[in-house]
Amino acid sequence: MMDIAIYSLVDDMVSKAGTEGVVEYWLRVGESYAERMGKEAYVGWPAFNVAMKEGRTSLTVEGQVNVLTDLAITDRDGDVIGYVYALKTCPMAPTMGRYILRIGPIPDSDTDVADSYNNRVRDSAVSNYCITHQKFREVAANNITVAKQALECLQLANKGMTGEVKMVPESLERINVDERHIKSILRSASCVFAIIIKGKTAGEEIIE
Amino acid sequence: MNEGDHMSQKNIESNPFVDVSVFLFFEDISDKQGVEGFTNYMVGQAESLAKSVPSEEYETWDDFASAVASGESVFSSFENIEQISKFGFVTKNCPFSKAIREYIKRIGNFNPVHMEATDHYNHTIQPSAAHSACMMHQTYRKEVAKRIKVGGKPLQYAQIGAKAHTGQIALPPESWKKVLLDKAGISETQGFMEMRENSCLYLLYVDE
Repeated sequence: MMDIAIYSLVDDMVSKAGTEGVVEYWLRVGESYAERMGKEAYVGWPAFNVAMKEGRTSLTVEGQVNVLTDLAITDRDGDVIGYVYALKTCPMAPTMGRYILRIGPIPDSDTDVADSYNNRVRDSAVSNYCITHQKFREVAANNITVAKQALECLQLANKGMTGEVKMVPESLERINVDERHIKSILRSASCVFAIIIKGKTAGEEIIE
Repeated sequence: MNEGDHMSQKNIESNPFVDVSVFLFFEDISDKQGVEGFTNYMVGQAESLAKSVPSEEYETWDDFASAVASGESVFSSFENIEQISKFGFVTKNCPFSKAIREYIKRIGNFNPVHMEATDHYNHTIQPSAAHSACMMHQTYRKEVAKRIKVGGKPLQYAQIGAKAHTGQIALPPESWKKVLLDKAGISETQGFMEMRENSCLYLLYVDE
């Protein structure tokens, strides 16, 4: 029942704090959630990917994640700097389903808050919950090291309840993966993201 | 989310990732607006949620009681309810228990603000909450009852006992308790026995 509260809570919050206020609340919740999960360290990518498959990392509290080991991201030397991962089911899917079944249509405030985030922060939310979820992943990834190197999460794409897709072109460009490839992954997933060594990019290193 | 996610929605459970983030959302509200803000939002969103559910009418008390026990009434949308006497009802498993367990498992001890908000509710609204989630739950029940008519009369709801995950039981003051138990048609000993087996004991009735 706690999850169902999101829609009425967001509806109430929008009337009091506006859509921008709700976006700020959600961003803080995502950050605080990830920070309170603690830090993790893995000796290498195989160890990290096994932990992801087995659901032992803070990143997999959101649900079952497919580790796409065929989509290794490499730097200019051919060294692996990260992988692409696909979240099978959006964590909000059961909640949305029960809300529609038991209460009625999802309130407009859900889209209003997502639009506010898309216009002001990054065009990557298909529902208001994406805001906290994506922030959680970003901060959680920063708290994980692989071979003593900090990680970074790049949101690549996600799919909404009605099938609308949000792609993040700058992230796709950074890991040098084609948009069509990600769309094919989205056929059987709800959210696609990359985990890479912080500050790295496919093909070359970022100049700080 | 996938199209397949919407299959068999009726019985799918919430994702604990979402449940925990809602608790954190309320904690963030308390950081900005204090315990009073926490309580007001918790109560306010439960009222909004209840106002969104469809109204119901039943010809007889037995029709209503049967719909509640079988999960067909909006009153039992989020919990399994059992009738123990004509007007006495219990919920065996608190619908928030999974969210509470997951919070403790993933993050640790509950933020003290939850207990402070519970105390605030018990002192300013009614002394019936054992956990902050009870504020949402009991408000939802109270407001949903207003949307249900039995034999043309509005349904009335009164909380008798609520048990927290710590085992602590919230009970009304002695003078109220006797009246409520009498109305439910159960003795105090029976009431304690019910609270040993269940998480919540309450009264549903229509004015004669």
